[in-house]
Amino acid sequence: MPFREINSKMVEATVAPGQKMFSQRGAMLAYKGEVSFTPNIQGGQGGLMSMIGRRVANEATPLMTVEGSGTVMFGHGGHHIQVINLQGDTLYVEADRLLAFDGTLQQGTMFMGSQGGVMGMVRGQVTGQGLFTTTLKGHGAVAVMAHGGVIELPITPQRPVHVDPQAYVAHHGDVRNKLSTALGWRDMVGRGSGEAFQLELSGQGSVYVQASEDKL
Amino acid sequence: MFRLQGSKVLAVSMTGDAVKAKNGSMVAYDGQMAFKKMSGGGEGLRGMVTRRLTGEQMTVMEVKGHGTCYFADRASEINLVSLQGDKLFVESSNLLATDAGLRTGTTFTGLRGASQGNGLFTTTIEGHGQAAIMSDGPAVVLRVSAQSPLSVDPGAYIAHQGNLQQHFQSGVTFRTFLGEGSGEAFQIRFEGEGLVYVQPSERNTIGGDV
Repeated sequence: MPFREINSKMVEATVAPGQKMFSQRGAMLAYKGEVSFTPNIQGGQGGLMSMIGRRVANEATPLMTVEGSGTVMFGHGGHHIQVINLQGDTLYVEADRLLAFDGTLQQGTMFMGSQGGVMGMVRGQVTGQGLFTTTLKGHGAVAVMAHGGVIELPITPQRPVHVDPQAYVAHHGDVRNKLSTALGWRDMVGRGSGEAFQLELSGQGSVYVQASEDKL
Repeated sequence: MFRLQGSKVLAVSMTGDAVKAKNGSMVAYDGQMAFKKMSGGGEGLRGMVTRRLTGEQMTVMEVKGHGTCYFADRASEINLVSLQGDKLFVESSNLLATDAGLRTGTTFTGLRGASQGNGLFTTTIEGHGQAAIMSDGPAVVLRVSAQSPLSVDPGAYIAHQGNLQQHFQSGVTFRTFLGEGSGEAFQIRFEGEGLVYVQPSERNTIGGDV
């Protein structure tokens, strides 16, 4: 079910019987109709094993299940909200940035270190985003949060995109990522431009970048 | 070339040319880019020394390359200003990026600076090219002409350009000292011909307390 953007900081979703959606706990602002909100101990779907996986990966943001029939408005902390529609591809996003998503999407965690080997692990440390990230796969809509506005940049084989790790929000598509640097040895010894490391995203897809280097 | 992507992200397309930008303000780029920190603003040793002395020591980097570079800072609104040989006065904290061809310097602001809570000096930008300035909320551009001078709250002022004289105006009265201040004790008055950029927000100033 699609999200309707009310303004840049609020979205509305329609819930129908038999359909389920997940949202970050406490992110409901208002609702109409008969809607129930139940805390989801498993932190999403996928059963016990995937819950343990998420706990271990520190990607366990408390979620709730939203069911019933009506419309629900979501928003959180005055953050900017970006709606991303998935058509069978995979979205990579930090769990704490997930506001709400369609229950039909498959949730999982991915070890970021597996992309880029040792550098992947270094990246986790550098970006402060951890070594794991949440994945959502399938057909449906996802609402993610960002500080400030969001721009979507296309990634094509000819044009890889470099993103400041602090400004990175999410990406989807068939995209590889690695840590890159755009500085010489002189910058390494304390004369930094403040742009020491970037995430290099290459392949085919899009990346979402927020207009700020602040975390949520 | 400078262009806005939304109201909070600046996109700069470069073909081997360079821009000066606030340190750490790059959020993304495609193509090939190199980032180099500049010593205190790039006007050589003298510029660096004056910057150190004046407290306008914003750290600037030079970005050079081919492709598009995106800049943003703490979700501030961004305003584009184009300069045709005239001079832009802006608080260094409100400056995001300029064409590398523009000259930057510092100038003494006197009492106005003190009332703004931003120090006694301000940054000047001169030449032909574009600059991107930041504001807390969308800024308005107010035209000042000989017939209509303008008074601005020091906390809401962000920049001005053109041939403007400014002086400091105080509405401090006996009542203020009795503790009945209106919160609008000080203004900056602009006279002449030019443009003043005002943000819909007030940073903390001495003036706001009296």
